[in-house]
Amino acid sequence: MNKVLICEDTLIGIFTGIYVAYEKKMDHSLIQLQLQNHEELLLFSEYENVTADEEKAIKVIRTLKKTFGDDVYQWICYALATTDTLKADAVYHGIVCGLSMKQKQDFMGNLANPYIHTIFKLSRMASNETHHWLGFLRFQQLENGILFSRIGAKSNILTFVAPHFQDRFPNENFMILDEVRNLCVVHPARKQWVLVSGDLIAKEMVEKLSGSEEDYQSLFRYFCDKIAIKERVNLKLQQQMLPLRYQEYMVEFQ
Amino acid sequence: MEIAVRGAMSVMDKLGILTDAAKYDVACTSSGVDRSNQGQGMGNSIASGICHSFSADGRCISLLKILFTNECIYDCKYCINRKSNDVPRASFTPDEVADLTMEFYRRNYIEGLFLSSGIINNPTFTMELIYHAIYKLRFQHHFQGYIHVKAIPGADPLVVQQLGFLVDRMSVNLELPTKEGLSLLAPNKTRKSILAPMRQIQNQIVSSKQEIAVYKAAKPFVPAGQSSQMIIGATPESDYQIMSVAEGLYQKFQLKRVFYSAFIHVNEDKDLPALPGGPPLLREHRLYQADWLLRFYGFEAGELLSEERPNFNILLDPKADWALRHLEQFPVEINKATYQALLRVPGVGVKSAQRIIAARRSQKLGFDELRKIGVVLKRALYFICCNGRMMYPTKIDEDYITRNLIQVKEKLPFSLDGTTYRQVSLFDDVSFHGQTNREERQLALFGQI
Repeated sequence: MNKVLICEDTLIGIFTGIYVAYEKKMDHSLIQLQLQNHEELLLFSEYENVTADEEKAIKVIRTLKKTFGDDVYQWICYALATTDTLKADAVYHGIVCGLSMKQKQDFMGNLANPYIHTIFKLSRMASNETHHWLGFLRFQQLENGILFSRIGAKSNILTFVAPHFQDRFPNENFMILDEVRNLCVVHPARKQWVLVSGDLIAKEMVEKLSGSEEDYQSLFRYFCDKIAIKERVNLKLQQQMLPLRYQEYMVEFQ
Repeated sequence: MEIAVRGAMSVMDKLGILTDAAKYDVACTSSGVDRSNQGQGMGNSIASGICHSFSADGRCISLLKILFTNECIYDCKYCINRKSNDVPRASFTPDEVADLTMEFYRRNYIEGLFLSSGIINNPTFTMELIYHAIYKLRFQHHFQGYIHVKAIPGADPLVVQQLGFLVDRMSVNLELPTKEGLSLLAPNKTRKSILAPMRQIQNQIVSSKQEIAVYKAAKPFVPAGQSSQMIIGATPESDYQIMSVAEGLYQKFQLKRVFYSAFIHVNEDKDLPALPGGPPLLREHRLYQADWLLRFYGFEAGELLSEERPNFNILLDPKADWALRHLEQFPVEINKATYQALLRVPGVGVKSAQRIIAARRSQKLGFDELRKIGVVLKRALYFICCNGRMMYPTKIDEDYITRNLIQVKEKLPFSLDGTTYRQVSLFDDVSFHGQTNREERQLALFGQI
């Protein structure tokens, strides 16, 4: 009988799912991992809900890091940050395949394997998006001096973006709000950033900008306008490099 | 009177004028250095570089690209800021530059500063002004982001050296590919005065690297390396000459990048060519493609072009063009070929070649796997085989492959010549909507068409 494990769509939830799948000591091809709220009903299958368990997840993470190395673990984390519904299953079967490989560090190189290829594709998507947001994200200075930024990311990349800005602005108070997930990175000056979820941000506070903010915004808008060479104008190329979904969050396009 | 007007100039006006004047400089990369923040001030640097925006011409904005001043004592014919042009002039103060950079950087608008300048009084004086601005930024504001400055030919080597320890990248513009072009269009500059600072920077980069190897805390000198740029299409050089110059710069001066900028007609001058079709963008594109082949694909300029064939093919990219002339080296067996051989296959890039090498360690690759890996099969299929088989039965024949490759539309960042229409003549035999349908064939049979 086939087994379908249904896990939460979080890093811990999915890694717990993988742990439970191994615990079953069944043929791996008979087990499938699905995400909560995205279940696909299959005939002749037994369904089982997996409750996220941090201890089990950490064991899986430790094994992954030990056998495949930190880089592969990072790739997997990126893949799990996407919204793809098949990601949990791909990671699970990818790991199964990886553990049977002779050269385990070559995990990400084994693109001929469909599961590993899916992991590769998803994680490339998320890491590209992360890199884009590093550049396209815009801060606004609020009246109280805090730098505030709003993003709308396809994948859940906030935790990949935050360390970069913590390193870049160690002495600034800043916040990055992911509007899609209602998650927020909060970084108090000279301290470690934290992730906050829920509607904690007061709209009125965010709308009060500091006095000079408008000036710098218009200066930058003017700069972007002036830097373009008229003889070479190519709006199609601009949009190709900078898709519209980013533009709505950027001051120079407002 | 003039002074009164200038005194009233706002930062906004200055930014407008000095951005306008700086926009023809090509280099806007912010790559080459990995540096994390030391806890003071702000800023870090990422080796891959980060693009922060894209302007209407599709070029990336990653640095605040401005001139310190657009006043200039030189009279280069191609340059908008030349002495004899009547354009509004402005100069920043070091504080204004520092303030703009810091405030833009805080808001994550930019990755750093690109500072160039027109020449005021003399080159050394100008470089000293730049030095003051950069010094302020680095030591008063503790800015640790990316800084790229232009080294001005003819400046005192001591200023160049001092500045080199503060910035990430320095560049000296070669301006034009040959000595003759330079003396025609930039009478105040000589090849010798341009190459001297380039050599100085190269030597100091090398010696600073050696110092760092021994003594870790030694200051890095221009850690992101130096670059240069040439104007394409203002003088009659062939592509072969340009590529040879670029190759020389990479090999003899260890440059990180050479940039090519399609000549844009900003001044009316009898020595400048008229370009009715706009700037030579396709030529610039081909040169960049070839430049990549030199830097990452192990090609040499002499392989791509020669005295007899001095210019790139308009219809084919340089790599496909090379492959067609060397069909004896193909087809390449994907599962056995060396990395170097894979790199030379049209449709296979650096990344896909690396992926092929990694993936074939685990299992033999077929065409499906290649597609997944990212090989562009519609271009590569004439040049590769997997496990001894080609994708389709294909003639290894130059004409046949050329015909097929030209049909695969090349992805260009712009339309080929900007036009999609052409003049129709009565004698053209064009079928305007491709295939004929059955009715049309019947009509033709009865002589009704």
